[in-house]
Amino acid sequence: MKQSRPKKYGIVIDGSKCIDCKACMIACKVENNVPEGMWRNWIRPLQNMSGKYKSEFQPGQCMQCDDPSCVAACPVGATYKQADGLVVIDPKKCIGCGNCVSACPYGARYRNPEKKIADKCDFCQHRLKRGEEPACVITCPTKSRIFGDLNDPTSEVSRLVSEGKLVRIIAPHINTRPNIYYREGTRLLDWAVTPTLPGNIHMPAEFWE
Amino acid sequence: MSASSKPTISRRSFIKLSGAAAAAAAVGGPSRVLHALVSGKEEGAGVAAREMFSACDMCFNKCGLIARVQDGVIKKLDPNPNSLKSRGMLCARGNAGIKQLYDPDRLKYPLLRKGGRGEGKWHRLTWDQALDHAAEQMQRIGEAYTRCGFLFMAGTDMQSTFVHRFAEAYGSYNVISHESNCLLSRNRAFLDTFGVVPTPDVLHSKYIIMPGANRFEALVTPDSMDLMTAMQGGCKLVVLDPRFTKTAALADEWYAIKPGTDMAFFLAIAQVLISENLYDEKFVAEKINGLDEFKAHVVQYTPEWAEKETEIPARDIRRMARELAAAAPAAMIYPGRRSSDYTDSTQIRRSFAIVNALLGNWDREGGLIVPKKIKTGSIYHDAPFYEDNPEDRVDAGRAQMMFDEEGSFKHTRDAVIEGRPYPVKGWFTYKTNPMQTGANRNKTIQMIDNLDFMMSVDIVMSDTAWMADLVLPAPSYLERKDPISAFLASSSCSGVITRDPIVPAMFESKPVFWVVKELAKRLDLTESFNFTIDDFRKAQLEKLPEVASALKNEGVYNITGPSYGIHEGKPFKTKSKKIEIYNSRYVENGVDPMPVYHPPQPVPRDHFRMVVGRNAFITQSASTNNSLLWELQNENSLWIHPKPASTLGINHGDRVEVVSPAGRGSLKARVTEETRPDTVYMDTGFGVISKGLSNIFGKGACIAEILEDHADSVSGNMAMHETFVRVQRI
Repeated sequence: MKQSRPKKYGIVIDGSKCIDCKACMIACKVENNVPEGMWRNWIRPLQNMSGKYKSEFQPGQCMQCDDPSCVAACPVGATYKQADGLVVIDPKKCIGCGNCVSACPYGARYRNPEKKIADKCDFCQHRLKRGEEPACVITCPTKSRIFGDLNDPTSEVSRLVSEGKLVRIIAPHINTRPNIYYREGTRLLDWAVTPTLPGNIHMPAEFWE
Repeated sequence: MSASSKPTISRRSFIKLSGAAAAAAAVGGPSRVLHALVSGKEEGAGVAAREMFSACDMCFNKCGLIARVQDGVIKKLDPNPNSLKSRGMLCARGNAGIKQLYDPDRLKYPLLRKGGRGEGKWHRLTWDQALDHAAEQMQRIGEAYTRCGFLFMAGTDMQSTFVHRFAEAYGSYNVISHESNCLLSRNRAFLDTFGVVPTPDVLHSKYIIMPGANRFEALVTPDSMDLMTAMQGGCKLVVLDPRFTKTAALADEWYAIKPGTDMAFFLAIAQVLISENLYDEKFVAEKINGLDEFKAHVVQYTPEWAEKETEIPARDIRRMARELAAAAPAAMIYPGRRSSDYTDSTQIRRSFAIVNALLGNWDREGGLIVPKKIKTGSIYHDAPFYEDNPEDRVDAGRAQMMFDEEGSFKHTRDAVIEGRPYPVKGWFTYKTNPMQTGANRNKTIQMIDNLDFMMSVDIVMSDTAWMADLVLPAPSYLERKDPISAFLASSSCSGVITRDPIVPAMFESKPVFWVVKELAKRLDLTESFNFTIDDFRKAQLEKLPEVASALKNEGVYNITGPSYGIHEGKPFKTKSKKIEIYNSRYVENGVDPMPVYHPPQPVPRDHFRMVVGRNAFITQSASTNNSLLWELQNENSLWIHPKPASTLGINHGDRVEVVSPAGRGSLKARVTEETRPDTVYMDTGFGVISKGLSNIFGKGACIAEILEDHADSVSGNMAMHETFVRVQRI
């Protein structure tokens, strides 16, 4: 039975296809009512004029980590990981303290100035419920992002992961086991930062590498 | 029967129209890989969303879209995966379309100027008052100066055809499109070489040289996506551009060619192809006219000679010629669609066309193709004849070989200012903005000062509307019913599209079809407008029931099947019935029959050449005020190389003034090695004069104010890169 296993959503990103057109950023903004000046996703540029290596534009967003430091940093349990792998925020519980924002190694979170709560990408889970892919995925001109269920061995993302030609972006000292994979050869590998956890949050030793 | 879209709730779940899938679709017809990851649909609380097909209008591409509407409000625009042309995508502008609809800056009701022109003082009129006034002015000007005393200019829009029809019925042949501020020199060059303007089969190409085109920023569907798909499959891309664009950044090779020397590069490529016998002899013998003349002509244009002109090493030119030949016929010089740049723009583009001809890529996979297009029907009308009208267009004779149906904004403007050969005193503009796109804005203002009456129909108060006497509010593309539009695109993706209102027209906005129909009533021209849009569509699709049904069910009609190898054995629509490397009609018109290289004007000391362009979130001047796109870019900047910047004491972020003989503008400096030391660059779409564009008013500088109005001598198209500027810190 295909539906018997829980889902684990993931995205494989091929940065060599991205043309930095920002379609994903505007699509996300409209789909999720992201306020002015704030973004749930991004495109990180690495331009090189010398021709020594190819320029690259690398899209990114919340990596729906398996060991999310943001969840650990939330004092009220508003941020949690669902059975389908998505890390989500319960707007009723969130107190807007901002701990999770600094706890994310990828800078994927921001404080929504209108709602006064934390916000970030959730792979458009309302669209997933309608049977549609995330807004950023379907709108992309070059289909730089491939979305799917990592627990479904027949999915395109599983196939790509099993081929092994992918890498993950890991912050120094901590591996939150992200579920966004990048095509091998990306030069933008070391931009994640060691998260700042609030003073009263103590993680077990194995949390740190 | 209308081709109206119906709600299409269950559709496109997890569709993958990736580049590869699109490529497969191009061969095998539309393919929808349905791949449901989540079973069933769980609609959230509230009224279920309604989904409708339409076509984007944030630029000229007409990409397929699906609008999601809830509680009467459009919530989201998504790509229509059925549209093969748009390859199942919607760009940043397409996604920002809802802010063209829901924009507080929109024109809401008819406005009549009450202060001086451009002063921004208006009072509100009812539609009846506005239309009566416009009709009176049209009647008066037509009687006083002949019907040709009224000029019409409509932008790229599915309803522009009705403005042209109105002009015909009214009796003026002074109709200009936006295109003469854009790409007519390319059309001229390729038409005069091949007898038709081809489209490039980028998807299947193996080697592409892109001169001046910026396909990863100035998006063209499907070329932009196909270029990436082709490159992922091993196609080599060479970009020639004085600026390090994103296309240059992603190319295999980029050369910061000296501006204005592209022809030297391609003549040298041709010289190598010929001297090393690298062309397809059979193809050339069968299909090309004038090879012997051309062989003799290009002997002088060696790569060593071209290196001095272009600053591209001769060994690279020679190598690229050989690589092109090795990849031919799946190799091309990309024709491009950028605005014309030099006074010999047509001849520069002729050199692109000629190299393509030598590569034998005509009608071949990965080369230049002419896909099939659907011919829609029409409702014909007998336009009245006006005996007192002058012989010809007001801009006639000012360019060597102008397209009569497009005209020339530059030459028309000169003619209006001079009052020669006859006075033009009225101007109707629809969704076009020459105040921003036509070089030398001060001259456009001077032209308007010469008019008795000017009216603009637009969605917002553009700079052109700002100068008008009467401004009429039009609905956006999401609120109106358009005629059917057949389009020509690349490999297996030409098609047909239309639009129905997704939501009712807001405020008092009225489509231009309604406006000209109402004017026709008042001017006793109803015979030409005795139909509704539904009637018109019915006539368009009378013999095309399959198109009507596809529009209804898929939101688009795609023409599939092979796009190459379909013209074999047919004569070319040229004088010699062959590809004209040597063009004998040019001789008759006093034009060089083969491109003769003339070096560009040297950049004077202490000056820069100014070049212009855009990025993926700018549609000339039509999108920069959009509040979503404005977040990506809220002003333009002057790209200047660190060497001259340092000499001039300019630091990154400093405010600078750019001065040309035509005008001046001030904006922030972007000190960057991404432009040549002799060349400065700025984006289009800023430095507006209209206070009706609240996001961008006061931001950046306007290219049209600074650029001088040179023209391509053959087509009469504005030549945008012939201006030298001084730059100083302020």
